[in-house]
Amino acid sequence: MSDAPSRRTIELTVNGERHEVEVEPRKLLADVLRQDLGLTGLNLGCSHGVCGSCTVLLDGATARSCILFAVQADGAEITTIEGIAPSNEEMHPIQEAFWEQQGLQCGYCTPGMVLRTVELLRENPDPTREEVREGIASNLCRCTGYQFIVDSVIDAAARLREGEPDGHVRPLIGAEEAGSEDDHANPAPAAHP
Amino acid sequence: MATNPRTNTEIPLVEKPSDLKWIGKSVKRVEDPKYLRGLGKYVADLGFDGMLHAAVVRSPYAHARILSVDTSAARAMPGVRAVVTGAEAAEIVDPLPDSGPAPEQHVLRVLAVDKVRYVGEGVAVVIADTRYLAEDARDMVLVEYEPLDVIADPLVALADTSNLVHDDLGTNIAYERTFTFGDVEGDFAAADIIVKDKLHWHRCAAQALDNSGAIAIYDAGSGEMTLHTNSISITSFSFGLAASMRVASNKLNMVPHPSGGSFGARFSNWRTAVTAALGAKVTGRPVKYSEDRLDHILNGDQHSSDRYYELELAMTEDGIFKSYRTDVVDDYGAYIYLGVGTHGNAMAQVVGPYRIQSTEYRLRAVLTNKCQQGAYRGFGAEVANWAIERIVDKAARQLDIDPAELRRKNFIQPDQFPYHIPTGNLYDSGDYERVLDHALDEFDYAGMRAEQERMRAEGRNVGIGIVSCQERSVYSATEFWFWFDEPAAEVTSTPEGVKLVVDPMGNLNVTLYSTPFWGNSSDTMAAMLLAEDFDVDPQTIGIDYGGTKGGLPAAGPGGSRLTVMYAGAIRGAAGKIKEKARRIAAEMLEADADDLEWSDGGFQVVGSPSSRAEFADIAMTAHLFATKLPDDLQSGLEATHVYDHPYTTMPSKDRSDLGSFYPCMGHACHLAMVEVDLETGGVEILRYAAVHDAGTMVNPRSLEGQIIGGTAQGVATALLEELVYDDQGQLLSTSFMDFLMPTAMEVPELLIGHEETPSPITEYGIKGGGEAGRMMAPGAMSAAIDDALREYDVHVTDLPATPERILDWVGQKAGS
Amino acid sequence: MKPAAFEYHRPESAEEAVAVLGRLGDEGRILAGGQSLVPLMNFRLAQPEHVVDVNRLGEFDYVQADDRAVRVGALARQSTVEMDAAVAERAPLLREALGFVAHPPIRHRGTVVGSVAHADPAAELPAVALCLEATVTVRGERGERQIAAKDFFLGPFETAIEPGELATEVAFPASAPGTGYGFVEFARRHGDFAIAGAGVTLALRDGRIADPRVVLCGVGPTPLRAAAAERALDGGAPDEETIAAAAAAAVEGIEPPADMHGGTRYRIGVARAQVRRAIAKALDRAEGGEG
Repeated sequence: MSDAPSRRTIELTVNGERHEVEVEPRKLLADVLRQDLGLTGLNLGCSHGVCGSCTVLLDGATARSCILFAVQADGAEITTIEGIAPSNEEMHPIQEAFWEQQGLQCGYCTPGMVLRTVELLRENPDPTREEVREGIASNLCRCTGYQFIVDSVIDAAARLREGEPDGHVRPLIGAEEAGSEDDHANPAPAAHP
Repeated sequence: MATNPRTNTEIPLVEKPSDLKWIGKSVKRVEDPKYLRGLGKYVADLGFDGMLHAAVVRSPYAHARILSVDTSAARAMPGVRAVVTGAEAAEIVDPLPDSGPAPEQHVLRVLAVDKVRYVGEGVAVVIADTRYLAEDARDMVLVEYEPLDVIADPLVALADTSNLVHDDLGTNIAYERTFTFGDVEGDFAAADIIVKDKLHWHRCAAQALDNSGAIAIYDAGSGEMTLHTNSISITSFSFGLAASMRVASNKLNMVPHPSGGSFGARFSNWRTAVTAALGAKVTGRPVKYSEDRLDHILNGDQHSSDRYYELELAMTEDGIFKSYRTDVVDDYGAYIYLGVGTHGNAMAQVVGPYRIQSTEYRLRAVLTNKCQQGAYRGFGAEVANWAIERIVDKAARQLDIDPAELRRKNFIQPDQFPYHIPTGNLYDSGDYERVLDHALDEFDYAGMRAEQERMRAEGRNVGIGIVSCQERSVYSATEFWFWFDEPAAEVTSTPEGVKLVVDPMGNLNVTLYSTPFWGNSSDTMAAMLLAEDFDVDPQTIGIDYGGTKGGLPAAGPGGSRLTVMYAGAIRGAAGKIKEKARRIAAEMLEADADDLEWSDGGFQVVGSPSSRAEFADIAMTAHLFATKLPDDLQSGLEATHVYDHPYTTMPSKDRSDLGSFYPCMGHACHLAMVEVDLETGGVEILRYAAVHDAGTMVNPRSLEGQIIGGTAQGVATALLEELVYDDQGQLLSTSFMDFLMPTAMEVPELLIGHEETPSPITEYGIKGGGEAGRMMAPGAMSAAIDDALREYDVHVTDLPATPERILDWVGQKAGS
Repeated sequence: MKPAAFEYHRPESAEEAVAVLGRLGDEGRILAGGQSLVPLMNFRLAQPEHVVDVNRLGEFDYVQADDRAVRVGALARQSTVEMDAAVAERAPLLREALGFVAHPPIRHRGTVVGSVAHADPAAELPAVALCLEATVTVRGERGERQIAAKDFFLGPFETAIEPGELATEVAFPASAPGTGYGFVEFARRHGDFAIAGAGVTLALRDGRIADPRVVLCGVGPTPLRAAAAERALDGGAPDEETIAAAAAAAVEGIEPPADMHGGTRYRIGVARAQVRRAIAKALDRAEGGEG
C-alpha cells in the first residue's frame, strides 16, 4: 500500500449543479456528497448497502451511495433529496403527500424513501398498496411500520396523476428533462471535514 | 378510591374534556418539512472548524486480560492526532454514571483497562483528521490479550464463582431478590389449578437507523465542555456526567440534537459523549465520535432484555386467576448501567389487566461476557406482558376456554379504578372490556374464526391469537431505587420544565429540555398543547431545544412520559403567562381583571365581547409600554414551569408495597391471524388488529404512527430479530444481513381502533402511548402461532419464533 | 466502516482492462456492480491493494438474444436484463430468478455476469447459470476462453477464472418454446439470500416429463445440479408422487452448512420443499401442462 493514495479529480453534477472534487479513490460517494458538498440530507444507516437511507438517484436510477466510490460516479448526474423541492417555499408533491399522511417520524430514512418513491411512481403511476409495499421493501424504516409511507405513496401518485404543478423540478430522470441551472433552491453550503 | 398525595384529595374518574380545539386533531406535524427536505441535522451531519474524528479499537475477545496496548505505530499514521488507551483514559475521565447495584465493583469505563469483558468493548481510541484515517490507524494498534474462559451462558454463570465477569464483585449475580406481595403461598395452596410455563425471551435490540454520537468541544481556559449529542441528558442528573468528564457541574452543556430514531437506544447513552469528551480534552480540538453500525451493534449499550422465565399461575377451576409467580433470570451482559430498572417496569404491570390478588417476583440479574443491555421500547414491561399472556393462553388451552373470554372474565372492572395492583403500583383508569369488544369488532373475530375453520378444513395451518396488555407511562424515580433497602439516594424527582416566551408580536416560543428529537413528535406535541391554550395554529409556534447549562430540570423522553409531562409543564407556563396577560388586558381595557375571560386568542369582558384585547396587542404592550402596565409588573411576557410527576408515592420500608411509580396506565388489545407453512416454518400474517387506549389523544394520526411502528418492532421481535452470541461470546449477528429488521413486506397492514379512558391525574386526561404496539405484538403473534399449530400442541416459548424453531416444536410434538 | 485505501484503475477498453488485470494478477479486484464487493470493503473484510473499475467498458453493456442463446455482457445490469422482453421469452428462468435478487436499487447496479463470477453459494444467478448450462466467456492476456457452467463453480466464492482474467459474457442457452420453468426460494425476509432455493426447467412430451433440469442454491459450497432428482423426473408422469420422489432425491446426500439462520437438517427440509414447488410451477407452465 502506497503512503500517499493517488487522488483523482472527478466531476459530479448534483441537483443540476456541476462540481469538481478531488478525492481519494476509496472515498464513498455518500461521504463526498455529505462532506465535500455539504449535502447532509442522505444518511448513513448501515454503511453496507442494506438500509437504503443513503439512496440517491444516479443517472436517474436509485443507487446506494454508501457502497459506491465517488470515482465511480465521475461524470454522472446525481439527484439528492435537496434537489427535489422546487423552491424554498414549495415542496414536491411527493414531499407534500408524506407530510399530509405523516409518512415519517424521525426522518432518517425519509430522503431515501422519497427518492425511491420518485422512481416507483415513474415506473408505475397507479400502484396498488401491495405494489407499493413491495416497491419500498428496498428501504428500511424503523419508526413508521411502513403503513403511512404506503399511504403517502398512494397519495403522491394521485397528486402526480392529477398533474399537480411541481414547479421547476431539477432533472429527476437523467437526460430526458432539461434542467435549468438557475433554478437553484438549495445551494451547497460550505463543506465540513 | 385512591388519594392524590399532592392534594390529599380523592381521585375522581374524569370525562375527556369536550371543548378541545386542537387536541384530538390529526394535524400535520410541525417538524416534517425540514426532514422532508433533508435539512434535519443529526449529529453525524454536524461539523465544526478543526473538528477531529474518533474510531474506537474494539476487543475481538469476549473475555481476556489486556496485557499491553502498543499505540506507537498508530500514532505515526497520517492524520492521527492522538491515540488514547484505556489506562491513559482513566487518568483523564472517570467511570461513567452507573445506576447499577454496585458501581464500585462493576466499574463502567469508557475504555477497558485491566480486561475486556465482551466482544466489541473499547480498548483504545484513535483521534484523526477523518474517520477514514482514524480507522487506518486503528488497524495499527497492537493489543496483546490473554484470553480467559468465556462466560456465555447466564444459567451457568449464576452458579459459577470461579470465573467472574467482574472479579471485585465476587459473583456473576449483580442483583438477586424475591419480592412477595400478598398471600402468595396461601393463594397457591387454595388454587384448583396451577399452570406452569417456561420461557426464553432472546436478546434483540432497539437498532434505530441512526447511531449514538457526540461532538465534544472543550475550552481548557474556561473549563467549559460543550457536548452536541443525540442522547438525553436528564438535566438534574447531568452533574454525574460532568463528574465523569472531570468538569464542574455548571460547566457542562449537553446540547440535544435530533436522532434518527431511538426506541431507547439514546436513553442516557453516555459512552459516546465521554469518548468524545476524552478526545476533546486530549487534543484541545472539537472531537466527534459518531458510531457506525458495527460500533453500535457491538458496543452501543442498546441490547434488550434477555430473560429466562419460570412462571406459575394459580386459578380456580373455572378460570379465575388468583395468584401469579415469576422467577426470572436476566442476562444483563458485562455491565448493568441502568440497574434492574427493566424489572421495575415489569412490576408496574406484572399482573396485567387482571384481578390477580397476590404475586411474587424473584429476580436474578446475571452478568456475562456480552455487551450490556440498554433500554428498548417497553423497557422490560413488554417482556413481562409477553410472559403473562403466554401463561394465560396456556391456561385457556388447558381449560378449553376461548382466550378472549378467559381474559374478559378476569379483567379489573371499570368501577374498581383507580386500582392498586399487589405490587403497590396504581392503575389510574381503564375500561378493558370496552377495548376488548372494540378489538374483536375491528378484527371481526367471529367472522375470522369461521374463516379460520374454512381454511383449516383445506389443510392450512391458520391460527388466531389475542392479547390484552397494559402500557404503563410516566415513570417515577422510585423505580430505580426501591430495589435496595438502603438506597444511596431516595430520589423522587422526575420533572419536566419548559420555558415559554411570548415575543412583542404575540408569537410563541417554547424551549424544551433534555429532549433530542427522536421522531416521537415532541415538536408537534408541544405545539399542539400550546395551540390549545393560546388558540393559534401549531405550525406558527417556535420550538427550541435547550441544553443542560442553565437548563430547567427535565428528564426528556422515556417511559412514554413526554406528552403527559409537556401537558403539565405547558399548562403551568401558559397559566402564568395568561395571568399576567389578563392583568395587562384589564389595564388596557380599564376593566377589572376578574371580569375578563380568555376567548379565541384574547381577553374580553364577560358579557361584553366587543370590549376585547387581542393577545398580540397585549404582548406588544407587555414588551414596549412599561408605563401602561400595572405598577407591580415588569416588562416582558415569559414564564417557566417545572412539572413534577403527578402521582408518586413512596415504597414501604419493607418493600411489601412499592408505592405508585408508574400510574398512567394505558391498555391495548391486539389480534393476529397467521398461517404457518409446515415445510419451511415461515409465518405469514393474514390479518392484524390493534385497539389502544392511551387516554385522551393529542394527535390521533401521530399516535397511530407509534402504534404501527411499535407493532412492526413487536412482530419483528416475535419472528425475526435476535442478537446471537456463540459459546465463545462472539456476536454472530453483526450486520443488517443477519440482524433481521423487517421490510415493508414483513409488517402487516394494521386495522386500528381507539378508545379514550382519560387519566384522572394528568392534564387533559392524556396517558403516554409511545411504546405502543411493541408491548403487545409479541404475545399476539405467539398466540396466533400456537393456535395455527394446535394439533401439534405447540406453545411458543422462545422469541424470536424463527422458522427453524417452529418446525422443531412441531417435530418434537409430532414425535419425528 | 470506511474502506482501506487502494490504487484505483479505470480502463477505458477491454484491451486496457486485460492488460491491467494481467499486470496485477491476484492483487487486482474487479469492480463492476460493487454491490457485494464494496460492503465487504466497508467492513474491511476485503482490502484489495488494487481495484479495477470496469464500468467504462461500454462494449460489454449488452443483452443479445436469438433462438439459440441469451448473451449477457459483463456490464448488463441486473434490472436491464430483468426487464428485457427477449430474456422473458427465451430465458424465463433467468428473469424469474432475477426478481429474487436483493431489491431493485441493488439490481440497478449489480451485473448478471458479476453475480455469476462472484459465485456466492446462496445466490440465485449462479444456480440459473448451472441449470441452463450457460457458458462463461473469460478473457485474459493469453486470449479468450469459454468455460461451461458445470466446470465454473469450484467452491464458495471460488470459480475457474484465473487471476488476471475478466469474465466478459455469460451465454444462457435459450429455452425451447413451451418449456416449463420455475424458480422459488425461501428467505427470512423479502430480498434476503435464500435459506434454500431451487430452479427447474422441463418439458412435457406425450404427457410425460422430458429434459428435466433441477438446481439448488444455498445448500452447498456451490450451486448444485440435482442429477438424482432429474432422473426421478425423466419420463415420469407429472403427478404428486413423481414430484415428491424427485424432491426427496434432490436433497439426498446434501449437507448445507449450518448458521444462525438455519441448521443443516432444517435447510434440507426447506430445500426439499423448494424443489417440490419449483417442479410444480414448471409443470404448470409447461406447454401441455395445467397452466
